[in-house]
Amino acid sequence: VPHSGSSMNRKKDKGFEICINNINFQRKSVIGYVELTIFPTVMNLNRIKLNSKQCRIYRVRVNDLEAPFIYNDPTLEVCHHESKQRNLNYFSSAYTAAVSAVDPDAGNGELSIKVPSELWKQGDEMKVMKVYIEFSLDQPKGGLHFVVPDVDGSMAERAAHVFSFGNQNSTRFWFPCVDSYSELCTWKLEFTVDASMVAVSCGDLVETVYTHDMRKKTFHYMLPIPTAAPNISLAVGPFEILVDPYMHEVTHFCLPQLLPLLKQTMSYLHEIFEFYEEILTCRYPYSCFKTVFVDEAYVQVSSYASMSIFSTNLLHSGMIIDQTPVTRRCLAQALAQQFFGCFISRMSWSDEWVLKGISGYIYGLYLKKTFGVNEYRHWIKEELDKIVEYELKMGGVLLHPTFSGGKEKDNPTPHLHFSIRHPHTLSWEYYKMFQCKAHLVMRLIENRISMEFMLQVFNKLLSLASTASSQKYQSHMWSQMLVSTSGFLKSISNVSGKDIGPLIKQWVDQSGVVKFFGSFAFNRKRNVLELEIRQDYTSSGTQKYVGPIKVTVQELDGSFNHTLQIEENSLKHDIPCHSKSRRNKKKKIPLMNGEEVDMDLSAMDADSPLLWIRIDPDMSILRKVEFEQADFMWQYQLRFERDVVAQEEAISALEIFPTPASRLALTDILEQDQCFYKVRIQACFCLAKIANSMMSTWTGPPAMKSLFTRMFCCKSCPNIVKTNNFINFQSYFLQKTMPVAMALLRDVQNLCPKEVLNFILDLIKYNDNRKNKFSDNYYRAELIDALTNSLTPAISINNEVRTVDNLNTDVRLILEEITRFLNMEKLLPSYRNTITVSCLRAIRMLQKNGHIPSDPSLFKSYAQYGHFVDVRIAALEAVIDYTRGTHFVLTTNFLCLSFSMLGKLGPFSWSGIFFIFQLVCLLQRLYGNCSCHTKGLIVNKRNPPSCLSIQR
Amino acid sequence: IFFNCMMGSGSLNSGSRSGSSKTSTSPTENYQLARRRTLQVVVSSLLTECGFESAEKAAMETLTEMMQSYITEVGRCAKATCEHTARSTPTLSDVVITLVEMGFNVDTLPVYAKRSQRMVITAPPITNAPVVPKALIAGQKRTHPTYIPSHFPEFPDPHTYIKTPTFREPVSDYQVVREKAASQRRDVERALTRFMAKTGETESLFKDDISAFPLIAAKPSTIPYLSALLPSELELQTLEETDSSEQDDQTDTENNSSNVSQDDQSADKENVVLPPGGVVPTGKANEENMIDNPYLRPVKKPKGRRKKLKLIY
Repeated sequence: VPHSGSSMNRKKDKGFEICINNINFQRKSVIGYVELTIFPTVMNLNRIKLNSKQCRIYRVRVNDLEAPFIYNDPTLEVCHHESKQRNLNYFSSAYTAAVSAVDPDAGNGELSIKVPSELWKQGDEMKVMKVYIEFSLDQPKGGLHFVVPDVDGSMAERAAHVFSFGNQNSTRFWFPCVDSYSELCTWKLEFTVDASMVAVSCGDLVETVYTHDMRKKTFHYMLPIPTAAPNISLAVGPFEILVDPYMHEVTHFCLPQLLPLLKQTMSYLHEIFEFYEEILTCRYPYSCFKTVFVDEAYVQVSSYASMSIFSTNLLHSGMIIDQTPVTRRCLAQALAQQFFGCFISRMSWSDEWVLKGISGYIYGLYLKKTFGVNEYRHWIKEELDKIVEYELKMGGVLLHPTFSGGKEKDNPTPHLHFSIRHPHTLSWEYYKMFQCKAHLVMRLIENRISMEFMLQVFNKLLSLASTASSQKYQSHMWSQMLVSTSGFLKSISNVSGKDIGPLIKQWVDQSGVVKFFGSFAFNRKRNVLELEIRQDYTSSGTQKYVGPIKVTVQELDGSFNHTLQIEENSLKHDIPCHSKSRRNKKKKIPLMNGEEVDMDLSAMDADSPLLWIRIDPDMSILRKVEFEQADFMWQYQLRFERDVVAQEEAISALEIFPTPASRLALTDILEQDQCFYKVRIQACFCLAKIANSMMSTWTGPPAMKSLFTRMFCCKSCPNIVKTNNFINFQSYFLQKTMPVAMALLRDVQNLCPKEVLNFILDLIKYNDNRKNKFSDNYYRAELIDALTNSLTPAISINNEVRTVDNLNTDVRLILEEITRFLNMEKLLPSYRNTITVSCLRAIRMLQKNGHIPSDPSLFKSYAQYGHFVDVRIAALEAVIDYTRGTHFVLTTNFLCLSFSMLGKLGPFSWSGIFFIFQLVCLLQRLYGNCSCHTKGLIVNKRNPPSCLSIQR
Repeated sequence: IFFNCMMGSGSLNSGSRSGSSKTSTSPTENYQLARRRTLQVVVSSLLTECGFESAEKAAMETLTEMMQSYITEVGRCAKATCEHTARSTPTLSDVVITLVEMGFNVDTLPVYAKRSQRMVITAPPITNAPVVPKALIAGQKRTHPTYIPSHFPEFPDPHTYIKTPTFREPVSDYQVVREKAASQRRDVERALTRFMAKTGETESLFKDDISAFPLIAAKPSTIPYLSALLPSELELQTLEETDSSEQDDQTDTENNSSNVSQDDQSADKENVVLPPGGVVPTGKANEENMIDNPYLRPVKKPKGRRKKLKLIY
């Protein structure tokens, strides 16, 4: 272990035994003990440091001798109360220091145990030490989450359950351990729970035994594969058990009454298993796999050794279309992390990118196989756009930071307002982007060395690890199960024989993305395309790119790829054209994919043979390209380029060309069934924008109306929509989206045209799902969204008070629908309460536009604990929006109110709840009656740690 | 009088009931009032005969009522007796039997009737007998078919057995059907939600008019994910209707495998309760062997009790 020298009191754990004797749901407490077997690697081991947070430790024994211990958690009080420095930078650095002080990778820990002097001699002889710690946990605020619904009945009847969760290495929250991804050991786990409950944990369930009073059962688990403590988890509850019908070693667990949903949701898992095992040519490393679906899950998916914990909200019945792909993606992510993340762990925090990169990459391969190349390329583009946007806005994301010393000036990311030294000091948003960049970089490596080699590398990592895992008590072998950046790169060079050094230097050791500006001119005399590619590498989050770049030029005679070299000072590149401009000859035009098509060439420049140009079409650079070409070229690109990424780029480019030709191109794409549905969806919104820009010259019915009528309405009565039949998912998604886009249309008075509004109201009125095999809840929700989109600010005279009497007639109709939908939802709730969510947004929009009195009380009631989480989020968003809309300056009290509401939300989708509370307390202390603008804090609402971005 | 009263007892009764509403002067009313008045006169004369000089109105009324009841009862019983012997008109002997039945010594009657001090009462004024309103005539009254003797009762009024089928042309116009279905559903939904809003707690979007656009108040539920995730009964119903048989097959096989797990769990529980010799169905045990999953295995007894456990296995 590289860092073993960093501490004087280093030790290695061999075996870990955890035993939880008692889980009390009523009091939300846990009692148990752990026993670590330690092999000292240094002489004179007199002090052992372990990680432990919020646990109460009763006694510690080393080899049956009572051992004194000191417990100190510096993160409990990050800044001293009397400290003079009062700003967020200071807080951030103090917090980093506190986290460092207990970092297990540096041999630190909150719990310091003094080895009894009787054993010092033994230490000299490097003998085994057994450390036994009794502990309890009362009302844990992290690490373990208790869900105890407040109803009558036994805990099992109340569906009370508890599960472990945490951001990165957070296992210390629920039992004392070496909370590091690089400390591997084998595990023996025992959980005694009520006889009506099931305890699901890592490894193989060896046996279940009743206690003598027959009221409880003890679950004995063994995990012989060396595993790091952060990959250990536990879930206890009255779960319903489903053995996977295809793979009997896989078991699924869900809360009572949800078994039918579990069956439906899990009917697909075996295919994901097969896929990964096939591409990695490696068996799933653990002998069993368990999935547990829990309520109030911290994140949608979290993976641990041989088990994954999911949010129960991922479960769905067979009637739900929209959730199905989302859930399948989550399952695929979880499984990918089983191989890389759980089975193969990391050497240090700075090697995290390799694990996230590989698991993200193989997950991408799964997407490609299951959802098709279009979906895959669309996803890559989406991810690329996301990371580019983030880095340009917030500064670079550094995958492989190297920290030389402990000094602040050596900070590799000075542009960030938090330290990236520890997973716990990161902003959650940053970490999401980090993962996103990691898998994109893996793809870049794949582009460089080919997928075949890539998979060979993965296979090599896995087979080395599985050989190592079967070695018992030879812990030096176990380091093969830890991946490091250098080891990974060595593997790549061994397997492929290629030097990817520059690529790694550019994207891994360095942060930032590339920003290209491209333009071109056609030189007729030389028949040459003069391409100019400039870069902006001075703005924040950018970096300079030097190296090859692919440019694809579609000419009349065909499509040609050119590889240009981007060098220090050359901006211009001459690309010889293959075809003379000879547009008079009627001839089919060959495309990149070999297809030959007829094109109407009348729109193009008579002198130029260029149809369209694409820069870096394969997305083999992490870049943003702003390319200038004529509108007709974008239109050709949209119509004839078969790559979905090119089509999407063309659609976004066409937004600034509101011409009848653009309109036609978009409409044609919309009508083409062969076209990828997400492109068509994007075309809807672009068409709405163009229509608004062309308002004065627009002829015919509102955009998309006749199209919608033709596609989805009855032949005999065009004003009535057909009864729902969502068997064709592409048209389903289009049917959902078109009204939403249409509602964005505006007339000369900047109002939504009456015709459009009535059209949407008719869609709602005639919506008939009786004959449909699928639920229409998402469709109805989007129709409400369409109503929301149609709203425009009310004309108010002297800020008059909004009353029922002066309600606009259109608004009255809209409100009528929303009221009915929202009330019906109480009687027949829709899946994930999508309709309530849309209604709340609509009501907020009505308030915001001044149609009804602005009042947050409705939203506050929906934000309460006890509503479905999606509803609560929507309601909170509305409350926050209310404070923003009225330019309300937050008082500390209100702030605390919002945060206490958040506190009751239960942990979901955001990390570091302690962090935010610490910050709030700090804020309170710092600014007695602070006047923080809401905006800064709103951003934080869902991503608390980034609240350090309020630099004031 | 006696007989008059007796025969008219039915209408007398009803007359006295409707008489309380006064001011009515219909012929039927008049007829009955006259009879009642006669009865009162009878009571008064009997009282006089007994030596009373005056009587309170209430006492008078009570006695009249008693008298009337008595006479009515005699009439009813006499009619019953007469019908018992398959006749339709009561005879004197019927009345005599009735009186005997009611505990009256009939032999004293002639003496009493011929007593000297009896008063003669004038006959009630002749009023028009009430006209029975004509029943609504629907259709032709049917006569007896030839095989039914004419003395049998006549058919009842046609309206009691004639049926007139009412139906309209079914609406086949697609647009109208959809229109109708849509507005019907909307009306039902609106009525239902309004009702729910009226009967329960509500929230309002307007401060000035709480009843406008009432929203059913949001109530937190203890287990919110259940209603949000499970399909509603309505949805399940539609699913059943639209489901193809293939899908059914699929779910069937799935059910089997899951039943194993469920059953097994319950089997575990049974083990706790059952005496050591308790029987575990062998079918389940077989399926269990097919799927070897540690979570399906029965829970072991603590070490001290192992021996007993073997019996179950």
